[in-house]
Amino acid sequence: MSLAPESVGRWSGRRITTAATLAIVLGLAPQARPAADDADGLALFEAKIRPVLIEQCYSCHSAEHDAAKGGLRLDTHAAMLQGGDGGPAVEPGDPELSLLIEAIRYDSYVQMPPSKKLAPEVIAAFEQWVAMGAPDPRDADGPAAPEPSAEGIDWEAARSSWTYQPPQRSEPPEVSDPSWVRSPIDAFILARLDDAGLAPNPEADRRTLARRLSIDLIGLPPDPLEVEAFVADPSPNAVEDYVDRLLASPHFGERWARVWLDLARYAEDQAHIVGDDTSLTYPNAYLYRDWLIAALNDDLPYDTFIRRQLAADLIEPADADELAALGFIGLGPKYYRRNSPEVMAEEWEDRVDVVSRGLLGLTVACARCHDHKYDPISTEDYYALAGVFASTVMFNQPLTDECELDKDGGAKAPEEAVHIIKDAEPKDLNVFIRGNVEQKGPVARRHFLTVLSDGEPTPLGDETSSGRLDLAEAIADPSNPLTSRVVVNRIWGQLFGRSIVGTPSNFGILGEKPTHPELLDDLAARFVTEGNWSLKTLIRELATSSTYRQSSAITDTHRAIDPENTLYARASRKRLVVESWRDSVLSASGTLDRTVGGPSIDPSDPEIGRRTLYSRISRLELHPMLARFDFPDPNAHSDGRARTTTPLQKLFVLNSPFVTHHADRLADRLATEAGDDTQARIDLAYRLLYARPPSEAETQLALSFLGSDSCDDHDRWAVYAQALLASNEFLLID
Amino acid sequence: MSPDPRGPRRPLTRRQMLGRTGAGFGLLGLAGALESAGLLAPTAAHGAAAHGVGLGGMHHPAKAKRVIFLFMNGAPSHVDTFDPKPALARYSGETPSADEFKLERKLKGGTFMPSPFRFRPHGESGVVMSDLFPHLSHFADDLCVLRGMHTDTPNHEPGLLLMHSGHQQPTRPSLGSWLSYGLGSENANLPPFVVLCPGLPVVGPQLWSSAFLPGEHQGMSVNTSDLDVHKMIAHLKHSKLDRAEQRKQLDLIQQMNDLHRSSRPHESALDAQISSLELAFQMQTEAGEAFDLSREPDRLRETYGRTTFGQSCLLARRLVERDVRVVQVYYVDGQNKQPWDTHSANDRGHRRLCADADRATAALLGDLKARGLLEDTLVIWGGEFGRTPYSEPAKKGDPGRDHHHTGFSMFLAGGGVKGGYTHGATDEFGMNAIEGRMHVHDLHATALHLLGIDHERLTYRYSGRDFRLTDVYGSVIQDIIA
Repeated sequence: MSLAPESVGRWSGRRITTAATLAIVLGLAPQARPAADDADGLALFEAKIRPVLIEQCYSCHSAEHDAAKGGLRLDTHAAMLQGGDGGPAVEPGDPELSLLIEAIRYDSYVQMPPSKKLAPEVIAAFEQWVAMGAPDPRDADGPAAPEPSAEGIDWEAARSSWTYQPPQRSEPPEVSDPSWVRSPIDAFILARLDDAGLAPNPEADRRTLARRLSIDLIGLPPDPLEVEAFVADPSPNAVEDYVDRLLASPHFGERWARVWLDLARYAEDQAHIVGDDTSLTYPNAYLYRDWLIAALNDDLPYDTFIRRQLAADLIEPADADELAALGFIGLGPKYYRRNSPEVMAEEWEDRVDVVSRGLLGLTVACARCHDHKYDPISTEDYYALAGVFASTVMFNQPLTDECELDKDGGAKAPEEAVHIIKDAEPKDLNVFIRGNVEQKGPVARRHFLTVLSDGEPTPLGDETSSGRLDLAEAIADPSNPLTSRVVVNRIWGQLFGRSIVGTPSNFGILGEKPTHPELLDDLAARFVTEGNWSLKTLIRELATSSTYRQSSAITDTHRAIDPENTLYARASRKRLVVESWRDSVLSASGTLDRTVGGPSIDPSDPEIGRRTLYSRISRLELHPMLARFDFPDPNAHSDGRARTTTPLQKLFVLNSPFVTHHADRLADRLATEAGDDTQARIDLAYRLLYARPPSEAETQLALSFLGSDSCDDHDRWAVYAQALLASNEFLLID
Repeated sequence: MSPDPRGPRRPLTRRQMLGRTGAGFGLLGLAGALESAGLLAPTAAHGAAAHGVGLGGMHHPAKAKRVIFLFMNGAPSHVDTFDPKPALARYSGETPSADEFKLERKLKGGTFMPSPFRFRPHGESGVVMSDLFPHLSHFADDLCVLRGMHTDTPNHEPGLLLMHSGHQQPTRPSLGSWLSYGLGSENANLPPFVVLCPGLPVVGPQLWSSAFLPGEHQGMSVNTSDLDVHKMIAHLKHSKLDRAEQRKQLDLIQQMNDLHRSSRPHESALDAQISSLELAFQMQTEAGEAFDLSREPDRLRETYGRTTFGQSCLLARRLVERDVRVVQVYYVDGQNKQPWDTHSANDRGHRRLCADADRATAALLGDLKARGLLEDTLVIWGGEFGRTPYSEPAKKGDPGRDHHHTGFSMFLAGGGVKGGYTHGATDEFGMNAIEGRMHVHDLHATALHLLGIDHERLTYRYSGRDFRLTDVYGSVIQDIIA
């Protein structure tokens, strides 16, 4: 164990004055270098000091081991004088003022070396050596210590990189086949395919498109009658019309709200509820979820969508119904023993993280303990942003005038409230050195990220306001280079199975590079200027493009030239996420409840037909069915779903009461709707589940399993129905 | 704009690797996947196991293949179990100086309280423990007692999270998830990380969360309130179909899948789904067998003790025997999520709890030993911290002991640690660890080391940086390694 964070803090906390004094002494430090006649001191160093430093200290405090715990290196004379987080390690001539001596005496909280106190004679030797002026022959080779780079970021250079430049319109490139180009998207895609010697796949058949579009846009399988109408539609605009119907469906908002809820780490309780304590549960959290559904169905412009979620309470005129939008921050995690400084520091990190990764695609939280190692984000930037959330509190906004209030005006009972945020006493935070709450650095005035500001960082808030509204405006500003790119990239990822920037929450240096930067930029620029931030307009363009319409067939050429399909010469097959999977089961069995909005449910209860989106989401214990099918941990922002394939998932499919119940209902439905005609039942089943009629081989397979005269054998049909639900075709979208 | 934002062709990222290897990754673990991709130098002992990395280790040869973590929820008292403090008798009744000891919790009128239990050396090694462990004392020469443990907080929830995930907030993967991620499973028919607990401990599932690691690495939690196999494992059996009927149904599904696949060549995801379904079918038998305690002889079941904890320890042995990588057994009972939290009646509580834990733990060590499993199974025993050497007066009845985090004891056994060895010491009061200090991060670093993993190199890129179990801390404590 090396310096625990708290230890560092105590050290400096107790000795801050000394450290400050020593900083002045530092200027004189060169004079303390050994003189030629300092032979005794140097001999002592070689005999008693250097071996101990090498043996006991270098593993954590030397360049050789690439380690400078607590910011301290002990392998050069200069490094010892410069010291670490706590200040200079050695005060030449004065052992009593030397932190190194204090640490090896085990006098303070910093006890070094941590494994075992040094022998008394060794400590005495160190004291003597320091008293002699700490003569030290070691050359200062290399930097004395990891240099604090607060001023080290070249902001102008940083701002000139692609990430921080506003997205630019581009003229769609020339392509080999202009007739394939329905939208500028197609030109950008086809030009790259031309370069690579690939041709796009032909358009997928209507049935495939019907299912793909329906799942992608509203998260539900298409109704067999709709499919037939779409297949038979002779209009050249059949796809556009089909897409428009889906965009107008009330289920559109349900599908896309869930994408946002992942990003917003939405949950209805906290991770540390003990016993029957209900104060950390939010029974009305669903109002935030329902606000999202309505906002997306209404196609609320994305900039407004962001403003309301960050600052609905500060936007005039305040609309009581809009306050639920504040659940974005208001339903975030609260940690155990909150209100203690170190725990609040963790909570601020969550807020900074969800806003910066979620809305800006930047990992600002990385700068909490040190300047971002790769991106132009300083620790000061981090605390300047965290200050906004330190000036904001969560509370129970009463839903009615009747309910009983606590002393702060919040509702006493969580059942009578919606958990949102409001401004608290505005304050600027000190930078916590190395993230240590006990080691305060300079005050970081609240401001927006320097790299995203023009010149001086844009101030956020003042003595009377938290700065949340200013933050919202800075993010929703049309000139913000990241906001539009990040959301366009996420939506692209939802529709195409992979996003243009493969790390949708990290556009920084360590994120993946965009596969099609001009395309992303052009889309993002048009999204703001022509589309007026309309998500539906964006989705319509993507979903009606020739690129989207391609079939998913994989050819040998694809495998040879672009096995990962980064060039989009075909549609990527997608797997149903758990929501669409369960909803598809409900839809097939005829038990889907299409009511939009409302309180949360238990998704594995076979009797409940509400969409999976309405599942109660717990930080304390994520629903086991959701957890099993890659639902993200709601304790933190999620940048996308994992796709695991595990036997435990399959056990659920084979044996769970949920699946067997719905297999039963599906068998009932086939009997009711297709009557006593075995083949008609099989046909209906395929249309309900896969949006197509069965092939001859599939009909024969079914008949040989069922027997030709099985119509009265419900159990047999239930086994067959379950097999259909468990099949790969049900799970995968072509 | 930079010249080519796409950048040069880079080697596979871990995430891409994950996507490519599909189901195979979960079973092989990172080490296996890297090895099969030729990215990990094979080690001397390579080839010891069919699927996982066995004793080859990920970064260096491993001494342990599996871990059993016996967790005493609520925190046992070190001065009553493994850390004798005769001086407490001398200072009995005296108030500890809040300043001198830098107490973080209120004293509540407590005074130094000697342990009523008798401590004696045991075995050839002379490892010392109190008479609360009449059975475990027979295994003294197998134990590596850690008396210099310390942690960052005297509160249960952050303490539990720190002990499990190296972090006080519920946002990091647990030790078991890291091991599953790093080493994978050597038994494709069972999950690599299993958690045994009657109900839930304090904090709950976050203790075995995979957090940002892929979901397959989270612990499979098994409620041991009812030891019936089908109560413990959900969805292990179809409600109507017998095995033969289900096999026919499965054949039908796979025939449909074959037809589906035949028109979709080169789609490897389809194969992963098909094999996963097959595995699930096999697992019904394998897990059914592994979790079926009725297959154990009565006499052995008695040896472990007919208690939830005793039988859970037996279950843990059945699981590691089948190469489950990590088993966590929580000492929790139906009424109390942290029975070791003896704020009152400390002595009586420890008598009762140890009677159970002693018997079960000793039986487990003996059983593992008899089967040759102890040498490569690391057993960890302890709680989230220790208890105060001074009393916590109770409103009525006998005093208890409060939470204590600056010095406490745990023990390890098997898995390449020194047996019959006591490491570290607290001061004469049992207040602060002063020698052989071992932070939770050090324990984690050392555990990973024993499993062939360099704790600084088992990392996962998430949210723009590389995370690891030990964050930026932790040292491998070489002194305790055999």
